[in-house]
Amino acid sequence: MTALYKLDLVRYGYTKKTVLDITQLEIQENSITALLGSNGAGKSTLLNLFAFLDSPQQGVITFKGEKVNADELLSFRRQVGLVAQKPYLLQGTVFDNIALGLKFRAISTEMVKKRVVDALEMVGIAAFAERAANELSGGEAQKVALARALALQPTVLLLDEPFSHLDQASIDELDRLINYFVSREGHSVIFTTHDRLHASALADEVMGLVSGQVVYAPLLNLFRGQVAGEIFKTEKISINLPADIRSGKQIAIDPSEIVLSKQSLTSSMRNSYQGRIVMIAEEKGRVRVTIEAGERFHVQITHQSLNELGLSLGEAAWVNFKSTALRVL
Amino acid sequence: MDYFSHSLSVALELIFQLDPAVWQVVWTSLKISLMAIVIASAMAIPLGALIALNEFAGKRFIQQLLNTLMAMPTVVVGLLLYGLLSRRGALGDLGLLYTPWAVVIGECLLIFPIILNLTVVAIQSADSRLLPTLHSLGANRGQTMWMVLSETRFAIMAAVVVGFGRALGEVGAAMMLGGNIEGFTRTMTTAIALETSKGEFELGLALGLLLLSIAFLVNLFLQLLQRRAV
Repeated sequence: MTALYKLDLVRYGYTKKTVLDITQLEIQENSITALLGSNGAGKSTLLNLFAFLDSPQQGVITFKGEKVNADELLSFRRQVGLVAQKPYLLQGTVFDNIALGLKFRAISTEMVKKRVVDALEMVGIAAFAERAANELSGGEAQKVALARALALQPTVLLLDEPFSHLDQASIDELDRLINYFVSREGHSVIFTTHDRLHASALADEVMGLVSGQVVYAPLLNLFRGQVAGEIFKTEKISINLPADIRSGKQIAIDPSEIVLSKQSLTSSMRNSYQGRIVMIAEEKGRVRVTIEAGERFHVQITHQSLNELGLSLGEAAWVNFKSTALRVL
Repeated sequence: MDYFSHSLSVALELIFQLDPAVWQVVWTSLKISLMAIVIASAMAIPLGALIALNEFAGKRFIQQLLNTLMAMPTVVVGLLLYGLLSRRGALGDLGLLYTPWAVVIGECLLIFPIILNLTVVAIQSADSRLLPTLHSLGANRGQTMWMVLSETRFAIMAAVVVGFGRALGEVGAAMMLGGNIEGFTRTMTTAIALETSKGEFELGLALGLLLLSIAFLVNLFLQLLQRRAV
């Protein structure tokens, strides 16, 4: 199966600042992908590249197996729908706004009408059609922008922080819409968020972005610090690094690669810290255990190992991981 | 003061009696300015959109040049065109000097940079999300340009009105290129200059009042349009 998007050695930035620096990235078709990261991590920039609004200064983007040419963006743009975080609505009515992209495609008037009505109904704002676009609230404008993207019947839907200003009912509605969208053959959704829980609940794949770099593991164990020789020093603990890494300001540890134990382990794992269990929670059918061991570690285990280990809140436990489980950023 | 108030009442009489000499001049003025504004706008607005929407080497220089040209003295335009259009000039064979066309060309040259520059500025000060929105909706180059002009149409209309006001009110080029021939190239401004120097202060005043009224009406029209759009 060909990937929906494939990025190779992509670099995007301004003269003094690199916004994105992606060695390799693949996004699969027919899936929901969440781009997780804090403000300024490069989420919106990456989404703009996915929408073909911008081209990277370096590197290659492949879309459905076809290399994206910076001079021929139009045909790529017409396959994807983007809803910006603060969407811009053009002068005129809601209907005019949703019809615009269809008119660009020279679709017949009756067909335009039908598709606008369908899109409005899909988003649940059928009554909005004749309202003036500049009289809508922020949340309403976002729904219109979503309908405007859906009317174009794209196979890829790109949503920038779609949940940030919605109430719970609207969030549930949007969750349903996203799931319905990808349930159709060849349809995919990519959305950005800084809500880790929502990302992992909704998406098939969660991709973290830290300072313009992609981290596949959920960004649960992300520590800042400095490299000193073979050791990465955070403010509170020292972590052994793999032999080949000698620089970086942040490290992330995949929560599924951490081994929990009640006693100190004698193994090849070079990093071991004793701590106290401060939280045990269920997450997507697995168990997340949080351990305070100088730094706060999040560990993902199965229900079975939770029972076997007999862990409970407040108890002492050891966090163990190989130095190869680290990702240095 | 007596002199002024007496002249004013005579001037108003001339206007409301629909004095043919007055209205002939007004009509010539409007005809020439409208012609100039249509031609200049038809060239400047699309070109302005092209400049604003594309990045190219020398763009900053062009904008600086336009700023300079916006303040170009009308007599300089008159002088240059006189050199081109007079019998011995490069375009002398066309026999355009002292015709309304010469004045139209002069005014076009004068207001073209104004409309061009104001169009570029209007588009550049549009919402920064406008272009990405149009692109993501799949607009091609032509559609993008059309929609950008449509979204900024009130600012661009203001540019056209500024240009019209300038064309209507300028005297240097109209005098040098038109020659102030009665019923042919005599415009409101050249007539005011002539009548006043002849001592016909009342007629000059009547034309001045009409000139102001037209400027006022045009601006009022623009404001009404803008208010309706909001």
